[in-house]
Amino acid sequence: MAQTHLLGIFCNWSPFACLNAAGMAHLKMPSNYGFIRVMCIGRINQALILRAFEYGADGVILLECKDEDCRYGPGPEVGHSNVDRVRKLLHLLGIGQSRLVERSFLAHEKSELVQALWDFSEQVQAMGPNPAKPRLKGESA
Amino acid sequence: MKLDDPRIKELIRDNSLFMCLECGKCSGSCPRMLTGKEYSPRLLAHKLIAEPDSESFIENSVWECLTCGLCEERCPSGVQVRRFIMEMRTLLAGTKGLKGYRSHDGALHSWMRLMTSPDLEQDRLDWLGGELKVAQSGPLAFFTGCAPYFDVFFSGINVNTLSIVKDSIRLLNFLDIVPVVLEKERCCGHDLLWTGDRENFETLCRLNYKEFQTAGVEEVVVSCPECYQVLSQFMPEVIPGMKLKVTLLSDLLRREISKGGVTFKPLNRRATYQDPCRLGRTAGSCETPRALIEMIPDLVFKEMKNSGRSAVCCGNNGFINCDAYSKRIQVERLQEAKATRSDLLITACPKCMIHLTCAMRDPFRHGSLSMEIRDLASVLADQIEWSKD
Repeated sequence: MAQTHLLGIFCNWSPFACLNAAGMAHLKMPSNYGFIRVMCIGRINQALILRAFEYGADGVILLECKDEDCRYGPGPEVGHSNVDRVRKLLHLLGIGQSRLVERSFLAHEKSELVQALWDFSEQVQAMGPNPAKPRLKGESA
Repeated sequence: MKLDDPRIKELIRDNSLFMCLECGKCSGSCPRMLTGKEYSPRLLAHKLIAEPDSESFIENSVWECLTCGLCEERCPSGVQVRRFIMEMRTLLAGTKGLKGYRSHDGALHSWMRLMTSPDLEQDRLDWLGGELKVAQSGPLAFFTGCAPYFDVFFSGINVNTLSIVKDSIRLLNFLDIVPVVLEKERCCGHDLLWTGDRENFETLCRLNYKEFQTAGVEEVVVSCPECYQVLSQFMPEVIPGMKLKVTLLSDLLRREISKGGVTFKPLNRRATYQDPCRLGRTAGSCETPRALIEMIPDLVFKEMKNSGRSAVCCGNNGFINCDAYSKRIQVERLQEAKATRSDLLITACPKCMIHLTCAMRDPFRHGSLSMEIRDLASVLADQIEWSKD
């Protein structure tokens, strides 16, 4: 089966610290992710998540701080409400709501973060590619 | 692309811009201009013809237009402004990329483009069931449009556009019509077409037409005026020899009700009506909705200051360039509605409902603009009954 392409969106604070620490500790990471670092997961809106799917992502995972840890205030709550709505839209579109997940971490949870990335990768791999993936020019239906 | 491109010259000629007398009626009636924006259809026509080097002005103007068509209504020379704007956007989008600020960061356009994938197995009909009777195949279909998506996306402002669809089906069922509702129906592509994305719009048209054919549909009933405009006017351009009759729900209702036997329960309210631009000016259907409203006993109907073919836009179209001026158009429109002392604002387009509901919720207006807003189909579906004698 073709390799799936996933997008991980990291909050700059706890989750990115986890990723950094995981890298320092040479933990093995899945290779099918593209990572984006944002200052806060509250920066990500419904449109940006949908656009990832429009451009062909097979899955999107939002990695955020715990609700009470947000450096700015309501970041993770904004994340929850966006994920909730976009999951409903993905369900309507038939893309499948489990292609979008959000996970929250404390700054020291590097192995939990890496495990979450592996789990999501396996889960999406089992679902196969995003049915709305744009076709490349010349690719047959 | 330079703006003295021969393709632009062709658009200017085809849409009669050379006929412009510079009388300024268009600018004098443009809702954008009247709310204070530096925007002028007359100046756009002038610059296109006489000063084609003012590139940024022309491009901005092309993307700023609401395409509500009020200027075209007033133009004594028959300049086809809307068509021109649409074709210019397609041309500019093809050469310079999509411009114009997309409201909600383009999320709506994203899901419309996602629907162009032929493999998509949508799961958007879980609201069906209960008392609604629908068929899998047959000669007559009802086009639901984007309502299930709108309600999720706009859940923050509590609009219920799905109620329009449910009530339309209830009305059809009341008339003993069991419409086909297609599982795989996609967005009609209106917003993509009007934001210059012709390619994806055409894909959506072809996919929808294929679904209609597979289900053996000969006639489509539509309640959303934007879907109506696309299916009746633009789809035949994409599909030559299209064999599909497109009927507005209000026209069908009026025809069926005129056969007799139907009456309406009294509704003791005072109501006014917002003409959607795609229904009133584009489809020319100003009188039918009013005739239907007036059939309801006890309902006091009051016109707004600007109504019928002169109705003012709900502030935005195609989900681009919603700005402070759009808000002002909406506020002024709602003040007109309030001035009729009505407690019910009837409209016939889900977009009008979304935009006006959004403006009503402005916290700085302290609820002074809020009033109940309902679709024509919902009002009729609640009142219709068979006459007892």
